[in-house]
Amino acid sequence: MRPLILGGICLCLAGAGQASEWPADAAVDPNAQNRTLTPKVVVNSGRLEWEPYKRDLTPWPTLSHLDRRPTPRPQQANYDPPLRGDPARGREIAMDPARGNCIACHTLPGEPWPGSVGQLLLGYKQRGVSDAYVYQQIYDRRVTNPNTVMPPFGAFGVLTEQEIRDLTAYVQSLE
Amino acid sequence: MRTLLRTGLLLTALVGTAWAQEPAPYRDMDLPIPDYEAHVRGDLRLSKTYPHWRDRSRLDWRLAGNPDEHWKLNWKFMDPPFNQAVHGGHFALERGEYLYKTLNRNGRFAACLGAGRAGLKGLRTRFPQYRQDLGRVVGLEAVIEHCAAAQGEVLQNGSYDNSAVSLYIASFSQGMPIRIDVSRGPMQEAYERGRRLFHTKAGRLNFACSSCHTRNIGQLVRGSHITTPYGDVTHYPVYRTQYFLQSLHLRMMECNLDTGVQPLLPGSQAYTDLEVFLTALSNGYPVSVPAERN
Ligand code: HEC
Ligand code: HEC
Repeated sequence: MRPLILGGICLCLAGAGQASEWPADAAVDPNAQNRTLTPKVVVNSGRLEWEPYKRDLTPWPTLSHLDRRPTPRPQQANYDPPLRGDPARGREIAMDPARGNCIACHTLPGEPWPGSVGQLLLGYKQRGVSDAYVYQQIYDRRVTNPNTVMPPFGAFGVLTEQEIRDLTAYVQSLE
Repeated sequence: MRTLLRTGLLLTALVGTAWAQEPAPYRDMDLPIPDYEAHVRGDLRLSKTYPHWRDRSRLDWRLAGNPDEHWKLNWKFMDPPFNQAVHGGHFALERGEYLYKTLNRNGRFAACLGAGRAGLKGLRTRFPQYRQDLGRVVGLEAVIEHCAAAQGEVLQNGSYDNSAVSLYIASFSQGMPIRIDVSRGPMQEAYERGRRLFHTKAGRLNFACSSCHTRNIGQLVRGSHITTPYGDVTHYPVYRTQYFLQSLHLRMMECNLDTGVQPLLPGSQAYTDLEVFLTALSNGYPVSVPAERN
């Protein structure tokens, strides 16, 4: 028992100095490619087994009290015109559950809606909203609405600048 | 990995509340935080579905048969006595009985768990609780792991066998209301931290538990209607086809993973705080096991 406890202390002190690291009580295998682990319950066993999760979630803040990494604050995007976005690629990203997944929350014209927390995204083609505005909403909508439920795709590094440009072009093309 | 896991748990115990002294890092909160009540009747102000599931033995069959409305029963139609099916939870209960009796041959396991004169009766209804000897608030599964380890047995928090023992212990409180006191001391502190955590946004998508469980009750998410957070803990550990037996902390891991939040280890202080908060929201509601969920 004793050496284990000592091991625990050492690990903790090592982790505490690095604010960029995930907390010590996260389900993580630092040596795996996708460090995040998912539990696997094995019948008639006193041990919980672990499997690699399909995506590495360690870069973002957790709920742990030991997690000292701040959430990125609401951020103004550095939007640099012209748009240089491809609406077809944007549509693909909007439908892709692993990337934008905008369809999970937004009703998009002409797309079958899976049904959940909905908001209509349409009429941008006629509305004449600026590209910079739309870009900012995708990059970090907290700037416009501090209590938004929409993820800050740009500020959190979930989508790249080019992906946000493509999405902006797509949104601006919606009838 | 095994060592990692154990050190993680020990860490929580050892580091104690060092984090409580430092200023917390910036987080977005899902605001406003409603006036939750540390009793199941608080749902009358949140989802208002409580009248539909208040009495499990007299649920409305019409709601249960309607896929658009059955969420209003808070899935209680999958608990006994309404649910008469034999499922994996029953096998787990047998396994739990066998393990418990083996561990408790000399009576030390029960004593370590804190079973008094009444034995296991009512024990489940008093967890989580503050344990003087451990110096922190702990859930039943954490104590099972601790007390098994004291006898040289490994029953990791979240493992099938740990949850099976937890289920067996819960079965002695069948029909007895949850009764935890979060009005003072370390339990109140844990409740307050848990309430805050429930509204703290985290992860890749910046979601809080409350983004779904408080703001979007009744909405369809990933094919399930979201139900009220009131009255949830009394059917745990629960039988789920893909998990065999899922403890409450494993359910939190699942919700974390599903929303792009790096999950924590079962027994971690944050999950325990959330458990205290959710258990307080089940105060007054009877334990009912074994239950199943989709
Ligand atoms: C978790 C749900 C969610 C996801 C995912 C989501 N959104 Fe949103 N979005 C919203 C909500 C809700 C609003 C409006 C209210 C608010 O801010 O909470 C909104 C607002 C917007 C607006 C601003 C509307 C206006 O004219 O002011 C745009 C543009 C937008 N979303 C685009 C997108 C795109 C593109 C994606 C995919 C990359 C996306 N959203 C993903 C929930 C979401
Ligand atoms: C994206 C939405 C979403 C988020 C965010 C979310 N959950 Fe869930 N959760 C669900 C859905 C859907 C279910 C299944 C339907 C139900 O029981 O409400 C569920 C079920 C649960 C259950 C099981 C309820 C029962 O009766 O067995 C618990 C407990 C739970 N969630 C806790 C949490 C906690 C704690 C968090 C935050 C760490 C969280 N959830 C975040 C969507 C979410």
